[in-house]
Amino acid sequence: MGIAQENRVEVKSMLTAVSSKPSRSARVHPFTALDNAMSPHTLHVIVYYPRSPFGSFDLDSVRISLSELLSMYPPVVGRVAKTPDGILEVKCNDAGLRTLKAKVCVGIDEWLRSADGHDESDLTAWGDMPEDPSTWAPFRLQINEFQGGGVAIGLSCPHRQADATTLTVLLKSWTEAQRRRCIVHPPSFSPLPSILTDDTDAVKPNSATISKPISTKTATATFRFSSSSFKKYIEEDGIFPKASPFDVFAALFWTRVALVKRKSHDRVCMCVDFRRLLPNPLPYGFFGNALNFSSLEMTNVADQGIVHVARLINDHVTNLTVEKIRSDLNRVGEQELMYGGDLTIVNMEHMIVEGDPMMYEAVFEDGVRPVHVSYRIGNVGGEGVIMVMPSPEKGFGRVVSVTLPEEEVSKLLVDQEILRFEPKIILSGVK
Amino acid sequence: MPQAPMPELTSSVKLKYVKLGYQYLVNHFLSFLLIPIMAIGAVELLRMGPEEILNVWNSLEFDLVQVLCTSFFVIFISTVYFMSKPRTIYLVDYSCYKPPVTCRVPFATFMEHSRLILKDKPKSVEFQMRILERSGLGEETSLPPAIHYIPPTPTMDAARSEAQLVIFTAMDDLFKKTGLKPKDVDILIVNCSLFSPTPSLSAMVINKYKLRSNIKSVNLSGMGCSAGLISVDLARDLLQVHPNSNAIIVSTEIITPNYYQGNERAMLLPNCLFRMGAAAILMSNRRSDRWRAKYKLSHLVRTHRGSDDKSFYCVYEQEDKEGHVGINLSKDLMAIAGEALKANITTIGPLVLPASEQLLFLLSLIGRKIFNPKLKPYIPDFKLAFEHFCIHAGGRAVIDELQKNLQLSGEHVEASRMTLHRFGNTSSSSLWYELSYIESKGRMRRGDRVWQIAFGSGFKCNSAVWKCNRTIKTPKDGPWSDCIDRYPVFIPEVVKL
Repeated sequence: MGIAQENRVEVKSMLTAVSSKPSRSARVHPFTALDNAMSPHTLHVIVYYPRSPFGSFDLDSVRISLSELLSMYPPVVGRVAKTPDGILEVKCNDAGLRTLKAKVCVGIDEWLRSADGHDESDLTAWGDMPEDPSTWAPFRLQINEFQGGGVAIGLSCPHRQADATTLTVLLKSWTEAQRRRCIVHPPSFSPLPSILTDDTDAVKPNSATISKPISTKTATATFRFSSSSFKKYIEEDGIFPKASPFDVFAALFWTRVALVKRKSHDRVCMCVDFRRLLPNPLPYGFFGNALNFSSLEMTNVADQGIVHVARLINDHVTNLTVEKIRSDLNRVGEQELMYGGDLTIVNMEHMIVEGDPMMYEAVFEDGVRPVHVSYRIGNVGGEGVIMVMPSPEKGFGRVVSVTLPEEEVSKLLVDQEILRFEPKIILSGVK
Repeated sequence: MPQAPMPELTSSVKLKYVKLGYQYLVNHFLSFLLIPIMAIGAVELLRMGPEEILNVWNSLEFDLVQVLCTSFFVIFISTVYFMSKPRTIYLVDYSCYKPPVTCRVPFATFMEHSRLILKDKPKSVEFQMRILERSGLGEETSLPPAIHYIPPTPTMDAARSEAQLVIFTAMDDLFKKTGLKPKDVDILIVNCSLFSPTPSLSAMVINKYKLRSNIKSVNLSGMGCSAGLISVDLARDLLQVHPNSNAIIVSTEIITPNYYQGNERAMLLPNCLFRMGAAAILMSNRRSDRWRAKYKLSHLVRTHRGSDDKSFYCVYEQEDKEGHVGINLSKDLMAIAGEALKANITTIGPLVLPASEQLLFLLSLIGRKIFNPKLKPYIPDFKLAFEHFCIHAGGRAVIDELQKNLQLSGEHVEASRMTLHRFGNTSSSSLWYELSYIESKGRMRRGDRVWQIAFGSGFKCNSAVWKCNRTIKTPKDGPWSDCIDRYPVFIPEVVKL
């Protein structure tokens, strides 16, 4: 892949989308210790629709519903500021959501087939927080129109300010506002419950937020596994009764990546959203980071059978108690990079509510469901990230995206064990 | 100590009653004269009895010819009187444009865009911030979509689409409110000072609504913020000439092409104050409209100070050193506005002030001319002539100045201040937003008189006096319908940004 690829995405204009009502109080939204620990990373969500809900853009009703929604999210339209003690917080001053409009020179199907991770990065805004963030918009929306119809809506923010669930709920609420439905998961800005924060120290001032750039060139590939491939595996290989698709696919990729990396690769970092794992569950609309990062070890994982590894993963996730979550929270400051310090596996099972994957329920016009939703993390550590996401078809299928050093990804793309599951490979740059 | 203020209080109360008594006496002088005379006459008649009255009547010796001639004479005089009386001009209804929420400009957004675009000129950014802090604008004013881009994209297309958006929305609303059919419009006047494309905006309206081919359309451009009242004056003159007609006036200011892109301080001021807005007004001289019309036009006075060089140059559009076109506001603007207002008041005073005030003014004038030139000039109390005031929301300074000069209370200028806060300076249409505010507050009763004062480049001061024709119920829809309950708000001297 040494050929220089010309940019297929061209940003045409930039404006600021404002909330519809002024936020009357001069509110500040503070960051938790977990938020600050996420600080080197950025978060990007890209939702692909086969038909764009945008028309003239300036006078669209979609813009009006966006403004109405932004009134419910003051921290999204605020700006980051430093208190005199050097602590970062969000001043809810209504400055607005930066919105970029871009055009892609190919059609959406061609894009999904032939674009790679770098191309997909062009669909959202990147860029780290500058020294003086007073005029820098942390949340940025990018509307990318494909040739011949289709649109990719990209939303990005520093990971300090929100996690994947928060952004997904925000986009879904936008579609609900547009269709004049009641908002199922309104935002909640209350702090983390005291049961989790009793032991933690007061929020420490931030040290240098940007860590050294990752030296190896990474690539991303996305594998779509259908329900039937999971069922086929269970019939052929047998699995313990309580295995979920996450367990199986996470185990599959852990073992294969370990093989490719040629280390015994004992340890992974498991990232699980703990909103619903608490005795008093947090609402889905909880705004901020509610992620648990825990370590999981297994010797010689490359040689282990998937069943074995799946069982280990299942035990680990089921045994995430409040005490474990609290102790993991206490240790967040210790790692420099939450994602990619060790191979990180991200669990998004909680986004499937009553069988429906939340991100695929973000529908602007009836009958026009997203064809694909990507999540990307910026400034990922060298060990890489595996994300197991829900599939647009409800059921046991999953979409797995891997971000690893380039050579490892190219090896994975031809790995026989993975190909046995008959995945549809998209967004991997295969021409 | 408690004794000292008491005499002052009682003396000021006594003075108030003296003033009231004087006003009643002078304003109803004729009644005071006629009523005793009529009473005496009636008493005489009753005393005389019917036979005596008949005798007096017969002794006058009328014959048929004399009676006929007298009656024809009376009929002739009254016909001439009614024919030469100017037609009553009615304001049937009007509608103000309410911008969509996506066009809102919070302070933080405005300052952020300013910092991003003028990143090499921190002094200009500081200046804009200071203006915005003291401007009296709120966080809900609107700028057109093209200005929300970084950098702004003021193309001609964008200007046309802003014009279409504001004008057509206001006119659709007006047609709906009044039930008027587009083909029944006889006169169309569009005024927009700074955007004048070809074909004109009035042609654009005719094209959109398929108005009649024999419509009398006029497009006024370049006449500044007072062009709204100039259009009303023109409509009035046209309605005098054309019987049984109606006129639609569209007052707006298109912001898109006039957003100053340079960094000269005096020219950045309009960017901070001018906002998107439009109003469409239906006027008529038809007798059938007299039941449903909201207002009757009583007077309209236009004063132009262009003959004075200082007034002429005080609001001047020019290019700055880098070639960006902007509007330069001179520092003497307030003084010149005061002069123009004085000239206008001198003309309108005799038309509207009650006799008591005019007499006092005349006496003070005589006193100053003949006896003592150092006597303070008497400023007539305009609060006696009007119930409501609509002062063009040109900026906080204008409203403060007029409040001081005319000695108005906070409630009188409330409509102007709140319009400036909610909608900013929408130029010629601001008077109509202010009138809508008064109606939305339920303060407009039948018989109330409204004084609209507008200032404009040139330098002009125009004022119109309307009389309310019927008590107006609080409108259910309108630019203020969703926020009137929050008003009036307290506007601090300086908003901390």
